[in-house]
Amino acid sequence: MKIPEALSKARYNWFPDHVLGEVLSKRWADNAVPLLFLLLTIVVLDHLIPNFLSPQSLSDSGRQMGEFLIIVCGISIVMMAGGIDLSIGSNYALCALAAVGVVNLLQWPIPVAFVIAVGIGAVFGAFNGVLIGFFKLRAFLTTLVTLVIGRAVYDIALVQFGTAIQLAYRDSPVWDFIGDGSIRLFPVSLIAAIAILVTAHIFLSRSRPGWHITAIGGSRRSAFNTGIDVRKTVFWTYVISGACCGIAGFLFGARLNGTGPGTGINLEILALTACVVGGISLGGGRGSIAKGVLGALIVLTINNSLIRMGYHSGTNQMVLGLMLAIAVILDIRWLKNRQKVLHNVYVAPVYTSMGPAPSALPGSGTPYALNHRLSETEIIGLGEIEGPEDVILDEDDHLYCGTRHGDIVRYFAPEYRESEIYAHIGGFPLGLAFDRDGSLKVCVGAMGLYSVSPDRRVERLSAETNRSWLSVVDDARLRDPNDLDIGSDGRIYFTDSTTRYDAHEWATDSVENRPTGRVLVYDPEIGRTRTLLRRLNYPNGVCMAHDGESFFFAESWECRVNRYWYRGPEAGRLECVIRDMPGYPDNINRASDGTYWMAWLGMRTPTFDLMLRRPGARRRMTRRLPKDDWLFPNINTGGVVKFDESGRILTTLGDLGGKHHPMVTSMREHKGYLYVGGILNNRIGRYKLDGANAYWTGMSSYRGRAP
Amino acid sequence: MIIDEAFDRLLDLFRPKAITIPHLDGAMQPNMRLDEAPVLASLHEPDNVADVGGDLWCSSGASLQRIDLASDHGKPEVIREFDAQIACLAGAPDGSHAVGLDDGTIIVRGPGESVVELPSVGPDRLKCPVALCFAGPRKLVVCQGSDRVPPSQNVRDLMLAGNSGSVWMLDLDRGTEVCLAGGLAWPYGAVVLPEPDGILVSESWRHRILRLRSSGGRPETVLDNLHGYPARLSRLRDGSVMLCIFAPRNRLIEFVLMEDEFRRQMVETVAPEHWIAPALRTGESFLEPLQQGGVKIMGIHKPWAPTLSYGLVVRLGADGTPAASFHSRANGTRHGMTSCCEIQGRIFATSKGGHCIVELPQETGAGT
Repeated sequence: MKIPEALSKARYNWFPDHVLGEVLSKRWADNAVPLLFLLLTIVVLDHLIPNFLSPQSLSDSGRQMGEFLIIVCGISIVMMAGGIDLSIGSNYALCALAAVGVVNLLQWPIPVAFVIAVGIGAVFGAFNGVLIGFFKLRAFLTTLVTLVIGRAVYDIALVQFGTAIQLAYRDSPVWDFIGDGSIRLFPVSLIAAIAILVTAHIFLSRSRPGWHITAIGGSRRSAFNTGIDVRKTVFWTYVISGACCGIAGFLFGARLNGTGPGTGINLEILALTACVVGGISLGGGRGSIAKGVLGALIVLTINNSLIRMGYHSGTNQMVLGLMLAIAVILDIRWLKNRQKVLHNVYVAPVYTSMGPAPSALPGSGTPYALNHRLSETEIIGLGEIEGPEDVILDEDDHLYCGTRHGDIVRYFAPEYRESEIYAHIGGFPLGLAFDRDGSLKVCVGAMGLYSVSPDRRVERLSAETNRSWLSVVDDARLRDPNDLDIGSDGRIYFTDSTTRYDAHEWATDSVENRPTGRVLVYDPEIGRTRTLLRRLNYPNGVCMAHDGESFFFAESWECRVNRYWYRGPEAGRLECVIRDMPGYPDNINRASDGTYWMAWLGMRTPTFDLMLRRPGARRRMTRRLPKDDWLFPNINTGGVVKFDESGRILTTLGDLGGKHHPMVTSMREHKGYLYVGGILNNRIGRYKLDGANAYWTGMSSYRGRAP
Repeated sequence: MIIDEAFDRLLDLFRPKAITIPHLDGAMQPNMRLDEAPVLASLHEPDNVADVGGDLWCSSGASLQRIDLASDHGKPEVIREFDAQIACLAGAPDGSHAVGLDDGTIIVRGPGESVVELPSVGPDRLKCPVALCFAGPRKLVVCQGSDRVPPSQNVRDLMLAGNSGSVWMLDLDRGTEVCLAGGLAWPYGAVVLPEPDGILVSESWRHRILRLRSSGGRPETVLDNLHGYPARLSRLRDGSVMLCIFAPRNRLIEFVLMEDEFRRQMVETVAPEHWIAPALRTGESFLEPLQQGGVKIMGIHKPWAPTLSYGLVVRLGADGTPAASFHSRANGTRHGMTSCCEIQGRIFATSKGGHCIVELPQETGAGT
């Protein structure tokens, strides 16, 4: 290997490029920009303002922050449902005035004042909610109107009662504590805010009504079509927002023990800016409480700091306006381009150097030389089935296969003309194996490990394994369960080919070539799955060896077959049996003469092998070309290869013209015939094996009965 | 929104530029006319057809053949075998013809018994004749594809980013050789139009048609951004020009043309027939490159799949814009169209990749 290639290998195999794509595919990735901005703001302001981060200063701003956070929490919920609430400023002022009035003028108990403040807020919100939710008025105009009405009511009330409220005095330690008190430097209002935010977060992300709110914001019509009561849910978001104003107003009243003509003015702009800067989409459907909090922290910090630095209120408004404008543009651009960005950066190829392989060209004289023998197969189910990745036969010779529609289809012996849907699972059923009790164990792409009992009951056995600590994507999930076999210990050994791509994108994994596949074992006794081997380059077919202590498994993109001992004296040993094949191996199954069949899903090409050594070029390819134009391994030509325990190649069957079986992903020997399936094919082939034991079946082989 | 656009520009600096190729649209809308066209003759890699004194001649490998138009399955009859592969052929109404060979020799016979043999062209001894065209009695236009590879290695020239092609006007009587244009990226076809329209030349690697004047001057671009790599041009009696396109443009090829290091390694270590490069035919070997869109799914090879070979003949109207086209798509077999010729009112085209000469249907239009 030349030096630059070694450098390239080091660069692409050690630098975790793939993490960027994985992070971007996470929902919380949106928070990164506001968070960075917040940290930057704090660092800058700490430089500009003395004592910016002193505990006293923080505690002071915390008090105000608490009220603001509660308001933002309310408007966030409204915005997530696709609405907007401009009336919060008026509502807030009204509630504050009511609270102070009840406490100072009426001298009623403090809890009653709280209930009245929140009640007024909620009723005010309900007014919005009725108009917007039930009468379907535009949220923007409606809340603009209620903003004006609310402000007018407030102004009238302030003139009426303002002076009286200011002059009255209430000696109440509770009232003072709510306004001035702290618990270990945490002001009461901030503690209240934190409690509300946590509740709201759990409500939005973990509860049914919370999900309904997001669903309505995402697509009102779809939400309606799925049966969500859109009107009622929208109504309640405004009630929540109003109630939040009530709580915040109560806290404000307690803090200042009075209100003024400026109370709540411009609050809606502040809160709206906070939400948008935090990343809550104006269109609804996308956002979280965390985003709102981030935005609120940014906006209020900047706002207060500008005041402390002595800028005029005009400047303040200008800064807010600019921030809002930039945030809106970023939000729209990001929303529009997020998928594109993700598509651009997700594929993160690594360096792979394939060993030189013997030729598979016909007439090359190697044991791998392909031929036309598979083009002579009898065809079963042409055009009726799509994507029989694996095929299997039962004791009565019926033929089973999975399809891309999520079905297990059964063809009846001996003609194999009539068929029925044996079971519907969903996902993409791939590897199949019959268990001792006659149940069919299935690896279902994108779903997990399933079992279909003889009475056709579908049961999920496992959909997760143990999570590794340092992985960004959830690698506990079974993403591409591919093939399985059942060990002599009754456990199910199966492969999960990649943690990076979904089952239908399996071929894209070859372009990246990052070894993220695993061999897993499911223990029916405890009903759990455990990871046996990891960092494999697309582990695929699994087949128990005849010794009852080990199994073979194919590692597709490495073009090799490995053997792993799972029990007995050599338990834990891993050995490569066949390496550097000219084709990409898929499923492996037993042959009647004590050897094994292996399917080749495709062939290596010199250009793709070269491309594997150039991860940078592959990366640019994935960014600059549409997927259809990417260079792939040649998966239009496959074959079937027979090998023995020592890894010696015995026979090769091919379909060079691609007449019936351009790609082969599985084959199963049964009573002298070989049944051939392909994940991208629309037929099953039946090939007569000359000289094969005409009584041998896979099931008899596994049960140790001589046929 | 102005801010929005400005923002877009700003983002452009950070995002990868997509590689694009022109759409097959309008007069270029795909059809299956080449696959449906009747076969005149089947022969190995027919390359260049020409009307030689009213007979249809065709080059195939090293042999020059005459195709009998009268019989319904035009049987080729070998006229002459050469020591080297025939690279190009031109004929004249008086029966004279010119043959360019892979070793660079140009042989002109006729009229009568006269024979002129030129081992090379120009002071630089160019040995890459890839297209010939008579510009009048004893006057010959010669396209020299490159100054470093023989005609048969055209794809290597593309991979080496060749731009050393030139077009020459030879006067056989006076023995003069005039260079009409140089610095071309594989001029692969020429047709002499009646004055004052000059000479049309197809510049393959730059996907365009140029107009040259016998008086010299800068070449003028007639047609740009073609859908493939143009090959020979020929003129029909009605004044329109037939353009053969021997391979399609493909985003992956354009990508490889930008990846210098990858391309260098590919040229050095991979057999040319397995390169990511324009091809006359595909699907013969599993060692050929495959693109995702070309994967057969449910037994179907999509006709619109990205492909390294394609069949395309375009009729250009009198103003030089495409008027009609004949296609053999990704799943077809009549690929690698290299030349075209009108004779006795019938139009024949060679499918070098499909090993046959087909007769193009007469009713020309942009339809599907």
